[in-house]
Amino acid sequence: MTQEYRGPELVRDDDLTRELRSIYAAPSDASWWDALEQRINARIDAAVIADEWWTVPERWMRAGLIAAGLAVIVAGAMIVRSQVQVTRMAYQTVVDPASMDLPEVARGAAMTEQQARLRILTGR
Amino acid sequence: MTAFAQAKRSPGLVPSRARVVAERPADERALVLAAQRGEREAFSALVRTHERRAYAVARAIVVNHEDAEDAVQEAFLHAYRALHRFLPDQAFGAWLHRIVANAALDITRRRKVRDADELPETVASPFRDPAESSELRRRLQEALDTLPPRQRAVIVLHDVEGFKHAEIGVTLGIPEGTARSDLHYARSQLREVLGSVRSEL
Repeated sequence: MTQEYRGPELVRDDDLTRELRSIYAAPSDASWWDALEQRINARIDAAVIADEWWTVPERWMRAGLIAAGLAVIVAGAMIVRSQVQVTRMAYQTVVDPASMDLPEVARGAAMTEQQARLRILTGR
Repeated sequence: MTAFAQAKRSPGLVPSRARVVAERPADERALVLAAQRGEREAFSALVRTHERRAYAVARAIVVNHEDAEDAVQEAFLHAYRALHRFLPDQAFGAWLHRIVANAALDITRRRKVRDADELPETVASPFRDPAESSELRRRLQEALDTLPPRQRAVIVLHDVEGFKHAEIGVTLGIPEGTARSDLHYARSQLREVLGSVRSEL
């Protein structure tokens, strides 16, 4: 029968152990341990508060996503509507230049009537 | 009534300062379950029960008292956050010690990087050591500092804290045989220092 190798033979040295114990002696003052416990708990409490602050409740997140989606749809609709309006004005300018209210466009965009006409025609 | 309050009525469940390490597995399991349900008092009781042993594990790995305290704090915070992953049928102490050891090793690595950029005088002194002036203690401390961190941790956990080889293996994540050979080499080194100092004095 073979015997399992358990590594080198371990020789205990009482003097060494005694010296090591004195070097690595833990604080014996009970108040120090109380203070450590308080510091640990305080650190956990602070971390919990920080975690909660960053954690958005699920229903808030859902409402936020819906609101953001609606805002994107509304903004998109407004952009499309303004582009349609510009295109229509450009078309009207070509078909019926007299119907164009150039002074109003020029006033709104702070430009000359000539610049306003060019803008309407180019759609910019 | 909360599980923790119920547990309090069971004598011996909430650890007192006088017998912080004495614990009954069933009581501890109740505390762990209560802590997992979010009862902070229960987790505080676990802190009270395990802080000394956790400090000992950390102190065996890091080079000074302050780093050991930091490691203990970080480890308990990590344990609190990871508590939902802990299986209550396991030994809480063994699980915690592994976390403490990892936190202490992290601090040791960070300190090594930091110390490489600093003057050698910045190496901190050990926790209140009234006999530090003694030549033997000083030389032994120097020899301990030159040991590889794992060997130092093994000899301190075994000879100072009374951990068994298997417990050291679990805590440090090494095979039991490695813990035994580390202990052998660490003792040989330190005994040599001890012998030479004695022959000089």
